[in-house]
Amino acid sequence: MDKCKLLRELSSAQFAAWELHLYLDTHKCDEKAAEMHRKYSDRAAELSAEYEERFGPLTHNTESGAQWLKNPWPWEYKECDC
Amino acid sequence: MFQYEKKLQYPVKIKNPNPRYAQIIISQYGGPDGELGASLRYLSQRYSMPFAELKGLLTDIGTEELGHLEMIGAIVYQLTRNLTIDEIKKSGFDTYFVDHTTGVYPLAASGMPFTATYLQSKGDVITDLHEDLAAEQKARTTYDNILRLVDDPDVRDPIKFLREREIVHYQRFGEGLQIATDKLDSKNFYAFNPSFDKHCMKNMNNNRKNR
Repeated sequence: MDKCKLLRELSSAQFAAWELHLYLDTHKCDEKAAEMHRKYSDRAAELSAEYEERFGPLTHNTESGAQWLKNPWPWEYKECDC
Repeated sequence: MFQYEKKLQYPVKIKNPNPRYAQIIISQYGGPDGELGASLRYLSQRYSMPFAELKGLLTDIGTEELGHLEMIGAIVYQLTRNLTIDEIKKSGFDTYFVDHTTGVYPLAASGMPFTATYLQSKGDVITDLHEDLAAEQKARTTYDNILRLVDDPDVRDPIKFLREREIVHYQRFGEGLQIATDKLDSKNFYAFNPSFDKHCMKNMNNNRKNR
């Protein structure tokens, strides 16, 4: 997977997990939603680890200094096809 | 505490700068129904929320709004990159430029700087949740208006995402209000404020047990 595709897959999994997380705030006993939340969270964690391994840190926990400071930052325009 | 994640919640990739669009969209950064007001509203209201579901909901939605603030900042930033003085003059961006150059500053499209009077934290669960429901609808209307004014698909795409989030948050706040009212006196939701009149709360629980 190239960088753009991987970032998109990661964002999709994170978004699905987050949406279920919000839903579970008001439906705390919904087992099916909780199971789906676990599934998407696990997938997001896998993709996040792969992304950080290949393209540098997403949070301060992984790496600091030059790797953390590497451009581009999220708000910057990036030429790419995806 | 909060931790930064070096990515946007949803991608912002705007090929063509357009300072006129930036001047409209900045209202969702620091305007009356913008993302800064939204995050401050929820993250401030949560301290006096009486029930765990609502403490969680306000924390989580308030946090997501900070991510939306970052997306709007990215949209404004990308719409104002590489401008010439001529483009700035012609587009009407000169009135913003004179005070902020192309820095991102929290204000409304009308030029009014951000103020905490855009939000309320009333310390009363019924009052605050009604404010939150209204806030989500006001933001949704603003995004609808932006979509009426903006043609560029690169800009419309993240704006549509943000508009949808307002609708989901409204739904969750509606459920939060239901949870809250279920825990209050069904004959009179306003009999007491569970965040302040704690002794009443205890009495209510005792009365229920004695019934």
